[in-house]
Amino acid sequence: MSLVTDSPVSSSGSDDFADFLDDHLDAESDNEDDNGEAKDEFASSSSSSSSSEDEWEDDDQPVSKRTKISEVEIVQNGDAAEGSASHVIVEQKLEASSSASVSKNECTHPGSFGKMCIVCGAQVEVSGVSFANIHKEILIGNAEVARLRDTDTKSVLCRKKLYLVLDLDHTLLNSTLLSHMVPEEGYLNNQIDSVQDCQNGSLFRLSFMHMMTKLRPYVHTFLKEASQMFEMYIYTMGDKAYALEMAKLLDPKNEYFHAKVISRDDGAQRHQKSLDMVLGEESAVLILDDTENVWPSHRDNLILMERYHFFASSCRQFGFGCNSLSQLKSDESEHEGALAAVLNVLRRVHHIFFNELADQTGRRDVRQVLKTVRKDILKGCRIVFSRVFPSQFPAESHHLWKMAEKLGATCATEVDPSVTHVVAMDPGTKKSRWALENDKFLVLPRWIEGANYLWQRLPEENFPVKSNEPPKSEAKVKDPDA
Amino acid sequence: MFFHIVLERNMQLHPRYFGRNLRDNLVSKLMKDVEGTCSGKHGFVVAITGIENVGKGLIRDGTGFVTFPVKYQCVVFRPFKGEILEAVVTMVNKMGFFAEAGPVQIFVSNHLIPDDMEFQSGDMPNYTTSDGSVKIQKDSEVRLKIIGTRVDATEIFCIGTIKDDFLGVINDPTTT
Ligand SMILES: [Zn+2]
Repeated sequence: MSLVTDSPVSSSGSDDFADFLDDHLDAESDNEDDNGEAKDEFASSSSSSSSSEDEWEDDDQPVSKRTKISEVEIVQNGDAAEGSASHVIVEQKLEASSSASVSKNECTHPGSFGKMCIVCGAQVEVSGVSFANIHKEILIGNAEVARLRDTDTKSVLCRKKLYLVLDLDHTLLNSTLLSHMVPEEGYLNNQIDSVQDCQNGSLFRLSFMHMMTKLRPYVHTFLKEASQMFEMYIYTMGDKAYALEMAKLLDPKNEYFHAKVISRDDGAQRHQKSLDMVLGEESAVLILDDTENVWPSHRDNLILMERYHFFASSCRQFGFGCNSLSQLKSDESEHEGALAAVLNVLRRVHHIFFNELADQTGRRDVRQVLKTVRKDILKGCRIVFSRVFPSQFPAESHHLWKMAEKLGATCATEVDPSVTHVVAMDPGTKKSRWALENDKFLVLPRWIEGANYLWQRLPEENFPVKSNEPPKSEAKVKDPDA
Repeated sequence: MFFHIVLERNMQLHPRYFGRNLRDNLVSKLMKDVEGTCSGKHGFVVAITGIENVGKGLIRDGTGFVTFPVKYQCVVFRPFKGEILEAVVTMVNKMGFFAEAGPVQIFVSNHLIPDDMEFQSGDMPNYTTSDGSVKIQKDSEVRLKIIGTRVDATEIFCIGTIKDDFLGVINDPTTT
């Protein structure tokens, strides 16, 4: 081969080495006729055709095996103390380790990388979960995923942590295309933070993606605190490039997410998210997302977030006619906003899970804990709805009724002394007037929704029912029981 | 393993490249087309080192393109089953770790990491022995054995193992 002759040979040391190589290669091609042919064929070459790929590999295999064995023989001969029995064993061992075909029978092919088994290296087709978030060529069989999930969950719980899956858009941040920005948002261009300083900044212009991104207030503190209690993943319906770029803004030092960023490009299903790529047991995973529908099988793990709409385009997209936060030159409250409220919930869940349920290690389930925490929010409230639902609608199946019950309130259809709250849109209804006469709280439906998003009983006086919309309330006073 | 070999390729050249610089044009096009590509048989073409011979051009009917058979020397890299490689760790996770040796991407699953090394998650995920003396993390250099290879058009994938004598970490970035 020309490798040796072409390389510049100067020092005597490399001269010796070159000689050694020459000798060795000569000796090998003298011994092995077929090997010599293989080399010639290789050198003559044709640049296409991958069909002969295997042939070359086959030629190579036995040679290396033979060389190894002969080397062992030399060592064995030198070492007189060793008997011939052990000699045989060593040879067998070499056979076993150098040819994959022997172990093929035993290997269960738990997963594949580049369509090769990750354990025995054989060409295999594995069916299972594609962990494209880690590497596009990694596919892990279901049994192996279960095993990984089990060991990972144990080690995470051992470190007193749970799992937290975080959505990006409208949950941790809001992005807009530069071309979708309205003139009133022009002032934002003077408030851009440097991408180098994402640790403190919150408004970024990503010119190469033609985008502007606003991080939700409190997000830096939130991630820092949550990372103490949770193993965190990002899971977004955005594409891979976007997801990684956002991860950089949220986690510039790469402390929180590492390879735990899952994007639309990694998921199997178009409009759904699943916990397949999250290596935690479902009983230890919490999810933060503003969209409930994408988690059809994991509603009990979900903490639904109030959507963060900073940019005008985001409001338009969701059909709000109102001005966006950016247009109002305003923003969500830093310390009383959604993320601060949710962080408190996470702290409570974590505390209950690891302190109050410490003696029930096998049976703890974060979904149950979440339910319990939620049920505390409106505990002790007894709610009657006054013409909030359409007249023929079965009250018990209305989402507000169900929401109130999930928050720990009890609901009734008729007033009685045990009732604490009347929820109404109009102060003129019979039940509304009853509330005022009997010193009960009279609140808007928004009071329940607010409690649901902020995970706390909000001051009732902030949700007064006023009659300042005469046309609307007139339209409603057609109900006979008014 | 690296090889210095002679390959042949039929190069199609647009008539606008004809003239005094024909050979130069041919060579630069060859480099652009070939360097960095893979073939199942020869592996990854690292660099073209010389032109052996440019054959007679053949004019294509209709288009005016001319096809030249070019014989060239190049350095190729191709991993083999059973080969020992030194590679740099690029990512560590609970499934194992990924490493790169030039253009080759190698995955070493946790099944093929010695049993006394355990996965540690955290800021810098790693595999560590119980006494803490050996640690595999991003940027560690490891010596591993190839047990499976697949060569794609532009990428080479390998399955590796470090579960054998004399394999494992050869340079830990945290200790140097
Ligand atoms: Zn296998």
